[in-house]
Amino acid sequence: MARNNEHRDLFPGALEMMILQSLRLQPMHGYGLVKHIKQVSDYLLQIEEGSLYPALQRMLKEGWLESEAGTSAKGRPTRIYRITPAGLQHLEQEVSSFEKMFAGITRVLAVAKA
Amino acid sequence: MQWLGRFIPRQRRYDDLSVSIREHLEEKIEELVESGMPRHEAEQAARRGFGNLTLIEERSREVWRWQFLESAWADARFALRQLLKAPSFTITAVVTLALGIAVNATMFSLVDAFLLPRLPGHNAESLVVVSSINPDQSFLGDTNPVSPPNYFAWRADHRLFADMSAADEFRTGSLAGDRQPEAIGYAAVTPNYFSLLGASPQLGRTFVQGEDSEGRNHVVILSHGLWERRFGSDPSVIGRGVRLNRENYTVIGVMPATFRLLGFIPDLWTPLVLTAAEQAPGARSSRFLHLFAQLAPGVTLPQAKASMAAAAERLQHEFPTTEQRWGAAVRTLPDFLIYNFGIRTALAVLMTVVTMVLLIACANVTGLLLTRAVSRQQELGIRMSLGATRARMVRQLLTEGLVIGVLGGALGVLLTSAGIRLISAGMSFNDAVRAVPISLDTNVLLFAVGVSFGSALLASMAPALKASRSSVGADLKSGSRTASGSRSHSRLRSFLVGGEIALASLLLIGSGLLIHGVYLLEHQSLGFRHDHLLTAGLTLDQARYHDAQRQAQFVRALMPALGQLPGVENAAVTSDLPSTGAGSVPIHIKGRQEPPGSAPHTAADVVVTPGYFQVAGITLLEGRGFTENDDDAAPRVVVVNHEFVHRFLQDREALGMQIQLDINNAPPGWATIVGVTGDVKSFSEDTRIDPEVYESYLQRPVTSFSLMLRSDAEPNGLIPGLRRTVASLDAELPLLRVMSMDGVIQTQKVGNTMFTQLLATFALLALTLACIGIYGLISYSVGQRTHEMGIRVALGANTGDISRIVLRQGMKIGAIGSVAGLLLGLPLPKIFDSIFMGLIFSAPAVYLAVFVAIFVVAMLATLGPARRAGRVNPAAALRNE
Repeated sequence: MARNNEHRDLFPGALEMMILQSLRLQPMHGYGLVKHIKQVSDYLLQIEEGSLYPALQRMLKEGWLESEAGTSAKGRPTRIYRITPAGLQHLEQEVSSFEKMFAGITRVLAVAKA
Repeated sequence: MQWLGRFIPRQRRYDDLSVSIREHLEEKIEELVESGMPRHEAEQAARRGFGNLTLIEERSREVWRWQFLESAWADARFALRQLLKAPSFTITAVVTLALGIAVNATMFSLVDAFLLPRLPGHNAESLVVVSSINPDQSFLGDTNPVSPPNYFAWRADHRLFADMSAADEFRTGSLAGDRQPEAIGYAAVTPNYFSLLGASPQLGRTFVQGEDSEGRNHVVILSHGLWERRFGSDPSVIGRGVRLNRENYTVIGVMPATFRLLGFIPDLWTPLVLTAAEQAPGARSSRFLHLFAQLAPGVTLPQAKASMAAAAERLQHEFPTTEQRWGAAVRTLPDFLIYNFGIRTALAVLMTVVTMVLLIACANVTGLLLTRAVSRQQELGIRMSLGATRARMVRQLLTEGLVIGVLGGALGVLLTSAGIRLISAGMSFNDAVRAVPISLDTNVLLFAVGVSFGSALLASMAPALKASRSSVGADLKSGSRTASGSRSHSRLRSFLVGGEIALASLLLIGSGLLIHGVYLLEHQSLGFRHDHLLTAGLTLDQARYHDAQRQAQFVRALMPALGQLPGVENAAVTSDLPSTGAGSVPIHIKGRQEPPGSAPHTAADVVVTPGYFQVAGITLLEGRGFTENDDDAAPRVVVVNHEFVHRFLQDREALGMQIQLDINNAPPGWATIVGVTGDVKSFSEDTRIDPEVYESYLQRPVTSFSLMLRSDAEPNGLIPGLRRTVASLDAELPLLRVMSMDGVIQTQKVGNTMFTQLLATFALLALTLACIGIYGLISYSVGQRTHEMGIRVALGANTGDISRIVLRQGMKIGAIGSVAGLLLGLPLPKIFDSIFMGLIFSAPAVYLAVFVAIFVVAMLATLGPARRAGRVNPAAALRNE
């Protein structure tokens, strides 16, 4: 876990993309998101839990998410985050640009190996 | 939906956030406990995994904020609390800064009033003033009025000027009607004058085309002041008849009070009628018109200047006798008004002085902040170790400076309004100056705000950078052992003290030289007796006194009548009162080779009646004065002054020499020098002496002149008798400016007194501030060295040794500072010579006095701290640490 928050993501926007993708499957609360990302990535991705919250606030402000009162799995009051149509659109753009970049990197690496 | 999100109150966002985070942690702890971890370990682990809770919550919240502004506001509130906790520091800093800001804003109110003129019309910015350039006049020679033939020629150049108007601004006349006659100043203007300046009347109308022709020209427009004073602001004044210069005129309009160019406004305006004679080539040498013009579309100011210079060049070839060496100048209207006011240099000097006062004030505040920063080192260290960045610390410290700036600015504005009241009471030495409103308006307020922020930043920049540069570890480790302060701190302090001393010396030297120069001026001998003299102005109007014979006749009748008044020893008439700057004319000396064409001899020309030299008390060195027989039937004679003989005749025999004066509208002719008088200063507020020629009034009468009455008692007691005598000769002839000669000189001088008083005040303020600054910084540095002194005493140094160390330190800085100030002050006399004409600035004593004064002040400021240092109790000093 990097002490410096500037390096909390693999690359800028990655955390946001993962949050959006996770919420696309179903609305979740904060801790739920952390667990989901850890499990799905097979514990390859360890995010600093705290850094989730500033990101969530930014995304709320951008209008990509909505929050509503709800209860956690353990029955405690919390806030549930839900993706908005604008968030969905943003996610699709991000994924497609990410895929292009990833494809590009893969090709370059392939040539370098050969 | 995005926009709707902004309407959800921020507080709800914050609550949501807190709920989320709290639940997050609890859920994680619960999971860890379920997996078998003890509860308190689980809590710790959860928190560690989460990160810095406060910081994260804070950063999440910041997303919703106007981050910068809000944290700046928080900084400001924090700074204010800090400042309130140290009242003596705060009061000193705020008052110091307030004084610096107040003197600057007060002086700026003068600059604002005099140098940023409010122009009457909407299109005033594109207006220009066209003037002739007088080759024989050094003072404002390039704002000389223009002759009518040139006006007509230049007006016709439509490629250059879209429109041009002419004004004869300084006419005097008598206004009569139902009340006693009154002398007024008025202007004759072309009908397009007001529309060109973009001014419209408050009542009635302005002139229309055609009213500048004989027969239709008997219409007047009143100024707001005259309308109020003489007509009781009566709105039905339009259409009423008034008597101006013994002729009937009809009032057609009243101008609003806001119509002013700068200072002077005439009492009324009449149409300008230019007669055929005035348009003829012969009228080229009578130059009395001010030209205002609108440049043609697309013409720039440099183009206009170049074109007019070329036009003047052509005229020189065409009319060599009248136009030789004369030029033409074009200025924008604002530029012309400011330039003509002649107050620019004095204001520039005062502004420079107050800027230096402000710098000294800033240096004081910087010193105070430095002092404070050192004692806060630990606090800052702790804050940095808790995660504050350096930029954040600098911002916090700058904010503290700015809060001081804001407080200082507020107090400064209060002081400014008092200062402005003081200044405007003093700025009443002549009508033009008195007419300019000085007030705390938006411009001055903006200036004060700008200066407050600027000086606050200036004062707190160095301490902020300095304080924040210290490393976290060092400050905490050194604990309370802040002791002798870092080396770089003490270097900055010495630099500040030295700089303050240098600035204060420079200011004192500059003010000292100026005040000394003005003192010499005020106590100079003018060359005539100005006590017990009553003076009054008279203008003989064309209606009744249209030829030289009638003018001479009036004066011949008036003189004996005045001489017989009880209390009057004798009386005389002069075209110009002594030492009030008579106009100069080119002269030729018979049998002498003329100087090259570019610089003919010129002399001040004064027309006087026979009794003049005796009345004024001017010594006759050789020959005789004028007599009743020197009239138009007798051969022309003149009297010259000693300077004339010295400069043009190389001190050789003058009596019997013949000279000729080039005077407008007078037939040329040789005149014989029959007498030589002592020198009279050209201006009472100047040391200058010019060559002077006196002519006999009976040989060349003038229409505008002054009366001089020598009395054996208080001169103002003669006023009723004077008025009665003049009225008995002509009931419609008003007297102008009735006052004693001492009064005349006083009005010419008051500007100087005001100027020197302001200078002296500012110099003293600078000295006081510097004194406080030196005392503060030295006593602080002594305080910081208590530990060191303790060690020294413990090692055997005695009280005297310690005091000497401190004293030597103070003296060293004082000496370096004052020597630097002296060196900076060395070129001052040269600089002043080039900006203040007629003052003497060689005064080595001023330098010596300032050096001694500054040294004594530095010594006194050091003495207290030095004695305190000597009394250090070593045990206490060391235990303290």
